[in-house]
Amino acid sequence: MSKKHIFTLLSLFFTFLVSSQEENPTTKDSVKIENLEEIIVTATRTFRQLSSLPLPAQIISQKDIQRSNSVRLNNILNEQTGLITIPDFGGSKGIQMQGLDGAYTLILVDGVPLVGRLAGTLDISRITVGNIKQIEVVRGASSSLYGSEALGGVINIITETPKNGFHGNLNYRISSFNTHDLGTTLSYKKDKLGISTFFNRYSSDGYSLTDRNELSTVDPFRNYTINPKLTYKFSNRTDLIVAGKYYNQKQDYVASSLLKGETKIEDWNTHIKLNNKYSDTWSSYFEFYATQYNANEYLDDANSTSATDAFYKQLLVRPEIRATYNPNDKSSFIAGTGFNNETLDRTDFSEKPVYNSPYAYLQYDGNPTENINIILGARFDGHSEYKSQFSPKVALRYGVNDKLALKGSIGYGFKAPDFRQLYFNFTNATIGYTLLGYNAAPDAIKALDEQGQLAIISISLDQFDSELKPENSVSIDLGFDYKISTTLKLDLNLFRNNIDDLIDNKIVATKTNGQSVFSYFNINKVYTQGSEFNITWRPDNQLKITGGYQLLYAKDKDAEKAFKNGEVFARVDASSPSFQLKKDDYFGLFNRSRHMANLKVFYNIPEWNMDTNIRGTYRSKYGLNDKNGNSYLDSYDDFVDGYAIVNVAVNKTIYKNYRLGLGIDNIFDFTDPQNIGNIPGRILYAKLNIQL
Amino acid sequence: MNFSKKNHEHITKNSNSMSKTIKLLIVVALFVGFASCSDDDDDPTPLVEVKSESIVNLHAPVEGGSQQGAPTFSGEFTKFDFATGTTTTSDTEWDIAFRGLSIIVNGGTSAGAVDEPERTKEASGYITSGTLASVTEVNTSLLKEDSNEGYVLGDWYTYAGDPTHLINPTPGKILVVKTRTGNYAKMEILSYYKDAPAEPDAFTDESPYFTFNYVYQPNDGVTTF
Repeated sequence: MSKKHIFTLLSLFFTFLVSSQEENPTTKDSVKIENLEEIIVTATRTFRQLSSLPLPAQIISQKDIQRSNSVRLNNILNEQTGLITIPDFGGSKGIQMQGLDGAYTLILVDGVPLVGRLAGTLDISRITVGNIKQIEVVRGASSSLYGSEALGGVINIITETPKNGFHGNLNYRISSFNTHDLGTTLSYKKDKLGISTFFNRYSSDGYSLTDRNELSTVDPFRNYTINPKLTYKFSNRTDLIVAGKYYNQKQDYVASSLLKGETKIEDWNTHIKLNNKYSDTWSSYFEFYATQYNANEYLDDANSTSATDAFYKQLLVRPEIRATYNPNDKSSFIAGTGFNNETLDRTDFSEKPVYNSPYAYLQYDGNPTENINIILGARFDGHSEYKSQFSPKVALRYGVNDKLALKGSIGYGFKAPDFRQLYFNFTNATIGYTLLGYNAAPDAIKALDEQGQLAIISISLDQFDSELKPENSVSIDLGFDYKISTTLKLDLNLFRNNIDDLIDNKIVATKTNGQSVFSYFNINKVYTQGSEFNITWRPDNQLKITGGYQLLYAKDKDAEKAFKNGEVFARVDASSPSFQLKKDDYFGLFNRSRHMANLKVFYNIPEWNMDTNIRGTYRSKYGLNDKNGNSYLDSYDDFVDGYAIVNVAVNKTIYKNYRLGLGIDNIFDFTDPQNIGNIPGRILYAKLNIQL
Repeated sequence: MNFSKKNHEHITKNSNSMSKTIKLLIVVALFVGFASCSDDDDDPTPLVEVKSESIVNLHAPVEGGSQQGAPTFSGEFTKFDFATGTTTTSDTEWDIAFRGLSIIVNGGTSAGAVDEPERTKEASGYITSGTLASVTEVNTSLLKEDSNEGYVLGDWYTYAGDPTHLINPTPGKILVVKTRTGNYAKMEILSYYKDAPAEPDAFTDESPYFTFNYVYQPNDGVTTF
């Protein structure tokens, strides 16, 4: 397909999105919808038809986000097959994908990454969905294009760009727990110039799942997002996008009745992109991106004396240039090179570390025959602080006939050791243990030893001579798309991620106070495997039913061996004699459910200008703690029971430009105060949308 | 004495741990049955039967452990003698001793903790994986005395951390001890909390109160149980 066609499709798609918002539901245009192709950029960094990709990928449309009345990114992602929000111990909500933790999924906004992974997880609840055009999800390791963090996959949030004329909208949603979400977009475009501004304010009183004491599960917070954008078309060949974002959140921080304080997050970024088309075959992009994430947290005691005061300040600067070359209709090349400069200033760090990482990548995307599409890609990431990485990827699609296509891909993914794992130098004031980053460890251990604080050094210090390896994975995806009829289609994907060199801490020394000194090493090998299945039935323009299911096995390889060799024991209760466990008693990694499913029904009632939907998600039992102390999750540990959440929404358009939404999230009021902190119970809401 | 001693010949009056005791008695009876059977089959010379015992609530208080920077533990260790199955205050006639999370043997040298008793004998030990029943023979090559590298019986528990802060005896850890008299014993620690609750709570249950099962081989030099 030629680039021209792609652009035509793309603009058609945009038009569709725009018109679908203002769509008069009485017009019967089901055929038109079926024929429009969805375009995805995340999978190849070029505009590609979603249905022709050799990779497992998905688009969540603005229409579905709006119909679901979602507010934050975690709300909508939670309803997708195999995706689930998992809060880490700091409360950051990360997304688990293909059984990999939130730390192993790259989160992009318009193709550039967000930073601020305090403990590895990026808190996706800090992203509002108010100005999202679509969310693109690519599953499987994708470091061949994106470098670090793209092990489980990539989630790319595509935001709105200004469209011709003056547009504006205002959204307001009020919901339980005194939660308010207010958003507005104003945009203007004429001739060469387009300007838009998005503003969002989100606040809540938080909630408390237990009434045992005055501590809340989620403390009151409020945040603001401002997102201005400017587009300028110099000529038919050259255009410029300048975008910025500012985010500010304040949240109460109550540690006990005596210790109170506040958490403050400030996040900004600048993104400049200059596109230039030299000829029908050549074009280039110059991109400059800078982002900073600041977090401050303090606690004061009853006398207003400072008890703790912590800060975290991360800055990423990235210039990148890339070129695309389309010699003919059948093949396209993309090549890029760039440089990451990253600094962090943080409490309890041995120094103010700087990461410098130049990189380059190359990708071929071609159709040697009409039925075959092949993607070959590779990327090299040099690095100042850890081992350089080479990340290849191969993907192949074979169209058997109009209805059936087979897809397969294999790729490499890695996650750079984070600053904490390299530079932490932290001693717990109350207990007395010490945690050291890998690069900080040799000097810190020597210093502790000279101060006479160490009783035993249990490893030899030259173990720190070689560089810490990034956590890495080889992922394989195999599947098919099957279009049974124009109204019914399904897809299946089998996946396996072999993850190696996982970084964990282990004891390196014992202090004279009896406590341990820990440092980080490449220790574990795990795998996740399973299948993702989706089915969509759309008998007419009024009804859409989708179902999804993921089967997952996520296990540690050494744990599997230990169980097989009969080295693992358990007790029936805390003080009964131990007995040997069998191979089948190993459940797998913590916080992984074997089964996850979703079912969504969207229904339009054009006569009443209404649409309604019901969305349910289910996850089966999972383990959070090793209760019996053998360090593994086995069938004698306690499990969190499986649960289902059902959400309903009704929306009605009045006077063409007003849209009113009412709904209930978690209609059956499911909560599990002991185990699940991020499910607050039933939420009632009302929403008003005004198109100006 | 601040703990109650029970063996399979006596029924305890401690009502708190009655049901637990019955469970333990069954286990103990099984060991004895197993041990006596094999004795009858394999060895014509009459040996004294191995002793299977349960100790409940051996109190091993510890002082100090301040919340500031470098906690220092102190206080007298609670010493235990396998042959009599009781605690003892003797300076020399003890096999192992408890204080808080620490368990030491009467052999080797001190790792430098405050108030450690002097090691006057050559007791030693090691920790192995298994159940109390499955460890049937002592691997004498693994026996070690305490030293400045640590306590040979130190790694018997798992700290659960947030939010429960429980100390759980690690399942499958069997402590094998060569006593000061050259006899062998194997033991499994069951609980660190008073009355060995089935669902302990680190905030309300008292500790350190050791509850453990052990099997003592009274016949000199016999390395099997």
